[in-house]
Amino acid sequence: MVEFFIGIFLATLITALFTTRLYRLLLWYSLNSMSLGLLALILGGQFEDRAMIISGIITLIVKAMGIPYFLKYLSERLSLNRQISPNIKIQHSIILIPAILVFTFYLAEPISHMVQGNSNYVAISISSLFLSLLLMMEHTNIAPKIIGFLSMENALFLLGTTATGGMPMLVELGIFFDLLMAIVVVNLLLKNEEEVEGDA
Amino acid sequence: MLSMLLLPAIFMLLASFKLQSVRKLLPFTSLAILLPIVELFRLPKPYSLWGDYLVANDLNTYILLVSSIVGIGVTLALLTLDKHVDVTPKAIQSFYRFFALFWIGLIFSILANHMGIFWIGLEMATLSTVYMIKTSSYPSADKEAWNYMIVGAIAISLVLFGIILIYASAKPVLGEDAMLFDALLSKAHKINSPFLFEMGFAITSMGFFIKMGFFPMNLWLANIERASFYPIAALFSGILESAVIAGFFRFSQIADIINRSHLLGFVFVYTILTIFIVSFLIFRAKDFMRIFSLSGIEHMALIALFWVSGGTFAALLHFGAHAFLKPALFLSTGVLESQGRYQITGALKGYSGISGKLFYLLVSLFMLGIISLPPSPMFFSELYGFGAMVDMAKDSHHLIAMIGAVTLLLILLSIIFYRFVQLYQSMKYEGKTVEKRVYFSEVLALSLFAISLIVLLSPSSIHFLRSIV
Repeated sequence: MVEFFIGIFLATLITALFTTRLYRLLLWYSLNSMSLGLLALILGGQFEDRAMIISGIITLIVKAMGIPYFLKYLSERLSLNRQISPNIKIQHSIILIPAILVFTFYLAEPISHMVQGNSNYVAISISSLFLSLLLMMEHTNIAPKIIGFLSMENALFLLGTTATGGMPMLVELGIFFDLLMAIVVVNLLLKNEEEVEGDA
Repeated sequence: MLSMLLLPAIFMLLASFKLQSVRKLLPFTSLAILLPIVELFRLPKPYSLWGDYLVANDLNTYILLVSSIVGIGVTLALLTLDKHVDVTPKAIQSFYRFFALFWIGLIFSILANHMGIFWIGLEMATLSTVYMIKTSSYPSADKEAWNYMIVGAIAISLVLFGIILIYASAKPVLGEDAMLFDALLSKAHKINSPFLFEMGFAITSMGFFIKMGFFPMNLWLANIERASFYPIAALFSGILESAVIAGFFRFSQIADIINRSHLLGFVFVYTILTIFIVSFLIFRAKDFMRIFSLSGIEHMALIALFWVSGGTFAALLHFGAHAFLKPALFLSTGVLESQGRYQITGALKGYSGISGKLFYLLVSLFMLGIISLPPSPMFFSELYGFGAMVDMAKDSHHLIAMIGAVTLLLILLSIIFYRFVQLYQSMKYEGKTVEKRVYFSEVLALSLFAISLIVLLSPSSIHFLRSIV
């Protein structure tokens, strides 16, 4: 089951890289977060780690539902451009994404015997981080860049869960708090832009 | 004690929602942050503020003291922000709201003994600065605020990425205590996955280096500081970078125990490359903000270099001097650029009255102090720092290479020196004399920095800095 959700996690992120519509991108982000939340719940149950279970529940509520809904609401209210064509052509992405995956598996090879869990999970976490960076880089619009940033947080969460068997609860909660603050800042920046455009 | 430290910032946050004339209160709230920090100095160290999570020691108390003095100076200069730039009262109020959050994040970050809390505080401070950049009315501010959000988020994510790897490397030995800096430091030799730790350290350091504008992100910070109001640049150089370099100090202390030669190789290559590029960028830069910003990167690189070379006293002295000199110069750009953002000639002409004359004198001293002319604290810190580098190499087979590195650095620093002298002469002797207005609060802020620099060179301060590590 763990492998299944990690597979879903990676698949949703890769699909997000090819998406050209904003709402579809939010959907992929939501599914990505949902697979992460369910993964944390399963691993938390296996390790009997209450902190990880709480993190999983918060992930499902905040990242899988709250943030995508809020970003959709924001994009409707501010009439953000919903056509988000990536700058990197699809045929190039098809070559680039497997190359990143192979590279990260190669990169994670020396640390395979040093981590507690399955080293492949760590490789997938690192590749997710690179793919999130790619998502940020390949778009000029703000909204996909924000999703890229949020996906990067998801990749780090996955790394924390798989490489260390769960980060301390305090850190997990702090990361959630910072994520919410990031959303507040994004909201203010977009609102301010709207006011400036309104004045003009 | 922790509540005493946080209360002024929380008050500032609440006041920003209610009071229109909030900015007159702010220098006092900044002063109120300083008082518990002074009290922290008197307490025996290490002093626990919140279990093992927040622990005050000599190093972080010093960094916090320096930051709080910079905070007072910045809030004083902010009183006249609207006299120099076009800013709405609403934007100022929002600015203070995020300034308060910035402070709360920094207090947590600087005093943290826990890698997670350190990161959370740093992230909070980073995010709050995004909106502070946005308060600027310059057309490029909008783009640069998003730029900062994206690049800052990448940098801070790299830091977290590295922290997770460090935690993973030490957790089998230390359990959940692997998050604590002091536990890591005392049991670093027991970590049985040094490669994983070093990978984590390298990634964390890259996050720090991006945030400080090191190679290859040299112009990133300069462009952002150019686009925002001048007090933001002062906050960046005097406070935010202090928290970042404080993190580097702590992580590198552990990396030093794990593998000293790897640490030295990594930091030397990175910092020398940074100074090499920055020196030529300074030579080409055509406005005060970019020159000061790039010079800040050079100084942060030198601090990192001195620190890993064992010149901890030199690094801390250089850090203090930079933290006072650079915000002072950034704050003075409000007046210096009153004839235009790229108008350097004649910037030091046209000052009258006591405030004007004092401003002229202080800015001249700061300009010459930043390029390490004696008796600037930077002169002494560089002397001790380069001495420490050569001392370190004496016992190894790399003495010639180290002398070569020091010579290269001196050549690069002389390019920066030349550019600043040229700039100073242009400000003083060229161009027309145009009357410029200097406000009392601005002179007060600069005087505070000047007094702090003098105190930094006092025997008791030197003795204290020597005893920190």
